[in-house]
Amino acid sequence: MKKNNGVIILLYCLLVFFIVYFAFIPVISVIVYGMNLGCKIEIIYKYIERALYYLKNSLVISFVVTFIATSCGMTIAFTLRRLKFRGRNMLRIFSLLPLIHPPFVGSIAFIMLFGRRGLISHQFFGLDISPYGWKGVVFIQVLGLGALANILISSVIEKMDISLEEAARNLGAQEKKVFFTVTLPMMIPEISSTALLVFLASMADFGTPLIIGGDFQTLASDMYIQITGMYNMQGASISGVFLLIPCIFAFVLQRYYIQKRTYFTDEVGAKDIEYKEIKPYAKYLLIFFTSLFIGLVLLKYTFIIIGAFTKQWGYDYTFTLSHFQSILKRDFSSFINSVKLATYVAFISSFIGVVLAYILHNKRVPMAAFVDFMAVLPAAVPGILFGISYLVTFKYPVLGMGRWILKDIKPLVLLGTEIIIYIICIARYMNVGLRAGSALLKHVNSDLEKAAYNLGASETKTFFTVIMPLLKDAFFASFFKNFSTTMTTLGAIIFLLLPKNKVAVQQIFQIITSSAMGEASAMALLLSLLCLIMLGFFYVLFYGGSLWHKMKEGRGVWKSY
Amino acid sequence: MKKIIAGLIAVLMIFSFSGCKKQEVNSTNTDSEEMVQNKTIENDLGWSSSHYDVQKMKDVTLNMYGVTDTIRLVLDQFQEDTGIKVENLTMKNGEILQRLKNEKDSGVNIADIWFTGGADTFINAAQSDLLVAYQAPEANALEEIMKDKNGYWHGTSLTLVNWVVNKQLIEEKGLKMPETWEDLLQEELKGEVSMPNPASSGTAYNVVSAILQTKGNEEGWKYLEKLIEQVPFFTARGSDPARMVVNGEAIVGINASNGDRELEKNNAHIQLIYPKDGTGWWPQPVAIVKGTNNLEASKVFVDWILSKRGMETLAKVRNAAVARTDVEVPKGIVDISDIKLFMTDFQANAQKREEILAEWEKHVAK
Repeated sequence: MKKNNGVIILLYCLLVFFIVYFAFIPVISVIVYGMNLGCKIEIIYKYIERALYYLKNSLVISFVVTFIATSCGMTIAFTLRRLKFRGRNMLRIFSLLPLIHPPFVGSIAFIMLFGRRGLISHQFFGLDISPYGWKGVVFIQVLGLGALANILISSVIEKMDISLEEAARNLGAQEKKVFFTVTLPMMIPEISSTALLVFLASMADFGTPLIIGGDFQTLASDMYIQITGMYNMQGASISGVFLLIPCIFAFVLQRYYIQKRTYFTDEVGAKDIEYKEIKPYAKYLLIFFTSLFIGLVLLKYTFIIIGAFTKQWGYDYTFTLSHFQSILKRDFSSFINSVKLATYVAFISSFIGVVLAYILHNKRVPMAAFVDFMAVLPAAVPGILFGISYLVTFKYPVLGMGRWILKDIKPLVLLGTEIIIYIICIARYMNVGLRAGSALLKHVNSDLEKAAYNLGASETKTFFTVIMPLLKDAFFASFFKNFSTTMTTLGAIIFLLLPKNKVAVQQIFQIITSSAMGEASAMALLLSLLCLIMLGFFYVLFYGGSLWHKMKEGRGVWKSY
Repeated sequence: MKKIIAGLIAVLMIFSFSGCKKQEVNSTNTDSEEMVQNKTIENDLGWSSSHYDVQKMKDVTLNMYGVTDTIRLVLDQFQEDTGIKVENLTMKNGEILQRLKNEKDSGVNIADIWFTGGADTFINAAQSDLLVAYQAPEANALEEIMKDKNGYWHGTSLTLVNWVVNKQLIEEKGLKMPETWEDLLQEELKGEVSMPNPASSGTAYNVVSAILQTKGNEEGWKYLEKLIEQVPFFTARGSDPARMVVNGEAIVGINASNGDRELEKNNAHIQLIYPKDGTGWWPQPVAIVKGTNNLEASKVFVDWILSKRGMETLAKVRNAAVARTDVEVPKGIVDISDIKLFMTDFQANAQKREEILAEWEKHVAK
């Protein structure tokens, strides 16, 4: 390969600077802040004791949820991909709902459906069971993350090399045997990466335990309580360090030890195969389970819609538009801010991620592996902790360096500027583009690039004409994902928002606390719709002409996940 | 690919334009408000401030931290009266305190004013040197207990502790509507009383300390011990019990309110009870944040909100009981003179916090 030219080197340096500064240093500095305490040893001991207690809760929940949600997701994915039955396409569409989930209100819908006075548990079955506690947390998380696991695994099944499976089948193996001896082992890297994402999401979730945990709180929610209720930043940082340890451990374990090999085909979009030989009872059991799971998800969403349009959610189901009216009376700018934030963040973070993937894979640059590690590290850091890390780093001037030098230069303090929430989201989500880009580049034959060089194209020209079109898919996939995540994320930015750039999720979170459930559900519904409309808009923008063609093939926008 | 990039840039530009447009709208707004302002001086709407300067303040935007979004309409009224725009961000008490500490540490000032919240956080903030002492002239209309003697904060509306009761469940189970704190201890309510954790909720801490101050330490802890028995678990946030009772997960929830009847109005199965033998309360203060770049405009805000005009707006919009006694109480609000309030020493509450919470932990663990 030719020597790197100046543009690439400059770009690489800039990216590395950005990554070190906004992804790596904050994480290091929150660890340092958490451990470097000015107070007495007994107090530290008390904080650690508290952190360990909640860590245990977090780990128990996360392990249980990871196991159940990943298994559910896998079962559903295989049922929807490899069994033919009526209504399959409808279920497939419904299974994508959680991607635009209205945040927080799901837990409340669950309480109203399955609580002591729940519509289903009490009205229909006459039960009187308290939904509060760890079971409720597990149930809610499994419902949300199981659906997410399904989406992740579905996209893998689609790209899997089926030749091995076919071979086993031709040799006369039963479907069950093929699945457990060929398919499953082949998918271990992908399943483990799905499980990792589920684990990290479960560890980081503070909203669910807060709303439905009762006296069962997790480390993430306890961190929130320590800051907002007990005014104890120091204790929260110690908890943060303890929260970070298992997350990073799982992350490193999965990334560097389990995910060594992948078995994708180069041919993206390999044919779906169908389990024809499967026994009827097994087939119907699988279909029943899938329908039940997706039915529950659907029930939750329907109930939220009902809540938004009825007078008093759970008690008085008279139709009303008053919740929407009172939302309109409020400050509406938060919705505009949300869309603005999501658009900028999705665009920039995906772009950075994809370009970085290209440089790390196709150019010989120093320390590529370490830069890659630093860039994906924020994915392992729970959002609320990442937010705190920005808080403790960028309150000092000169981008945080002013702690030691240049103490008097005020204008360069990032905290309290609008741009900080853009930066934190970009730093947090650029790994999505990076991973999507890396996955694609692994399969791209470098002959193309070499050919372009040999024909005399400059490096930049090669990049734009040969590589960019290839990276387009990775960019789009990352764009859609980052857009919808940014629209509904709160943890990372909750402590960094300013009065003038507050976002819709933050308002929903506050409204829930004032017991105005109808309003909260109406607002969450609006946010989801807005997210969907914007995604549709971008989809038309990106795919434009080929849209009709794709729709005819029945490939939805979500396939890009 | 080029098309796509061009399209994206177009989208991004739309956002930046929409930003500009918004500002234009704002400036025309302020123009018309100036006219309103001229009128207000003639009409005398019931407020005045020696710090007010129409010309200087027409483009000023104050950043405000607070604990409720319902305050928006009050802020709009303030803007209409003065031309000063207020942007508010709603958070929890503790989050605000933490932010102000961070802002002081770093020297980056974001907030100019802090309005709504619990008096205890304001006291804490004043001790941490986060607030500006301002002796507002209008404060003379307030009772001593409603304000800080150094002028760090002034009470505006009142927060009253009340019980949110699920009437439907009371009838279903054939219980007597609880009226006094002793009534909460009845056997049938075991596991049905919801209360926040005093370590993380200002409401619950206020209740605990008020009970201790009223009943005395010994009797107080005896009562609390029995109360603890009734509560299945202590919620993380002060707002949780009301939600639980509305959802039917508990029968009685210890809650904080403005003195409004909103929950009752919106939910046919809910009744709000103010215990006959006294209840906890605190003023919701307003304060100027130290380090503000808009000190004069912030003072105008304090003057305005403490004035008759401001408090009337507050009472009307929030359906709140307010600190001034010369303001007419809007309909639908509980009349404070009908309610017995616990004598509360807010300074002592703030000082004894650690000690009381440690004792509380012991009793919960029992």
